[in-house]
Amino acid sequence: MAGQSSAAVAQTGRNPFLRAVAALSTLAGWCSAAMIVTAVAITCQMIFIRFVLNGSTIWQTEAVIYLMVAATLIGLPYVQRLRGHVNVDLIPLMLGQRARRALAIITLSLSCVIVGVMLFYGYDYWHFAWKRGWTSDTVWAVRLWIPYLALPVGFALLLLQLIADLVAVLIGADKPFGLKEGM
Amino acid sequence: MDPLLLGAMVALATIFVLFSGISVAIGLLVVSAGFLIAFDGMRSLELMPEIFFGKLDNFALLSIPMFIIMGASIASTRAGADLYEALERWLTRVPGGLVISNLGACALFAAMSGSSPATCAAIGKMGIPEMRKRGYPDGVAAGSIAAGGTLGILIPPSVTMIVYGIATESSIGRLFLAGVIPGLLLMGLFMAWSLYSTWKSGHAAAMDKASYSWAEKIEILPRVIPFLLIILGVLYAMYGGIATPSETAAVGALLCLLIAMIIYKLWNPRDLWVVLRDSTRESVMILFIIAAAGVFSYMLSSLFITQSIAEWIGTLDVNRWVLMGAINVFLLIAGFFLPPVAVILMAAPILLPIITTAGFDPIWFAVVLTINMEIGLISPPVGLNLYVINGIAPDISLRTILVGSLPFVACMVIAILLLCLFPGLATWLPDAVMGVAR
Repeated sequence: MAGQSSAAVAQTGRNPFLRAVAALSTLAGWCSAAMIVTAVAITCQMIFIRFVLNGSTIWQTEAVIYLMVAATLIGLPYVQRLRGHVNVDLIPLMLGQRARRALAIITLSLSCVIVGVMLFYGYDYWHFAWKRGWTSDTVWAVRLWIPYLALPVGFALLLLQLIADLVAVLIGADKPFGLKEGM
Repeated sequence: MDPLLLGAMVALATIFVLFSGISVAIGLLVVSAGFLIAFDGMRSLELMPEIFFGKLDNFALLSIPMFIIMGASIASTRAGADLYEALERWLTRVPGGLVISNLGACALFAAMSGSSPATCAAIGKMGIPEMRKRGYPDGVAAGSIAAGGTLGILIPPSVTMIVYGIATESSIGRLFLAGVIPGLLLMGLFMAWSLYSTWKSGHAAAMDKASYSWAEKIEILPRVIPFLLIILGVLYAMYGGIATPSETAAVGALLCLLIAMIIYKLWNPRDLWVVLRDSTRESVMILFIIAAAGVFSYMLSSLFITQSIAEWIGTLDVNRWVLMGAINVFLLIAGFFLPPVAVILMAAPILLPIITTAGFDPIWFAVVLTINMEIGLISPPVGLNLYVINGIAPDISLRTILVGSLPFVACMVIAILLLCLFPGLATWLPDAVMGVAR
């Protein structure tokens, strides 16, 4: 958790690829925040209908859940850019510059591989729901490919940001693990 | 392969991967994928996104971002400072009123925010300089706030308790109530130690009372009463059977944002964005770990590791308190390195069957677990609160903060022992309010 206190936001330098990815991730972050706010608003509306107007609600609970799932997935690249995903940086802090850089390259490559796997099978899952026209078994009967779309999109954006982080370490635009030298 | 041996391999692999500095959530996915491929074949990877999505597909999770927004919007205002100032003005007759007020403000702030670093920062920003100015020793000033901040995850609403409730399918309302009395007990222990050590180190003069006029006492009330009303409202809605924790949290989040905007004039879009950005970052981080830990625990149970460990412990003829001791040591060590949420999500699926087989109450255990996590927050190497204090008061050395915090760690250990001796401290209130659990 010390990662949050000692590491800074990912640096892009003047590299156009890094800057483009950073902009895309930031945009994703705004979308994620907007979805969370929308979820708050819908929940409050639902409570108003249920307790003040004594009405019944149909779509709200489900919509709020899917908004939260989407906010999480779409928010992943932005939080990666802010270095908000906690890590244990005890070993990286103990290593020298060269070893730290090597370790950063290994962990980022490994992250790219696993997120790539999640993207591949996430797309598969979404495609299935789309092709077969799956719907949720509630009154609202949402076509499930809509919420599932967050899986491939979120992981694709996260993969892009991870690749950008890897490139930044490789070309020296950013410090490994975002740690200052001499720490 | 023997599931127990496999379990040991998973544990080693997890430690190895997490210590590489990879993000906790991604690390959990890596370990899960590795073991699933090795022992269940490539096809099992297909299920990972489905399980990931399924873990997030839960209305109870909504309460996490909602309580985080509640805390972040209050933390962005002067509310923390106002709280402790109000307490100080009203507690003038109490010796050592300042440190008492600071700890009390930590507890109250904890009741609004559910986050430890946020509590620490909100109260400490004003509290630490003021205590030092009045002559309290640096160690007491820093240590009391570092420790008081940890109450954030024990006193409801607590994000850690929500995560535990989701991981173990326990009632979140009951968990919240279970944290109240132990939270107050800890606050009392912290206060007692702060006063004793200030007096003992010859700084008794610092405890002299300041005096305030009635006008000063009344004048500060409008700035703190709205927040106190929200706490009461949230508690009433949740326990009056009106709404679920998620729904209550959403209304609480909206109200806190509105109060921050109206009373503290937080309507600059830039400031509002900071609140939203911080909440989004924190929520996405936690939800990502929750989903990844869901995949991790699927891997554990599909390889029969969870079940075998519980069975194995059952066949061991150990005293249940020895078992509890061992679990505590394990949690403490894990808490030294990992954030509370990650520890709970990784340990809960394995520990819960063991706990219930040994005849412990999972609600009671949640409180013990949380206090263990609190210790991790003020212990090296990654004690987050120590760094927060270091950020607020850079001229107090990390060493002084650390040494100042150690006695408070002892207070927490005492609290755990008291909870073992008198389990009712945690279970009485939920049983009294919500009826005895079956």
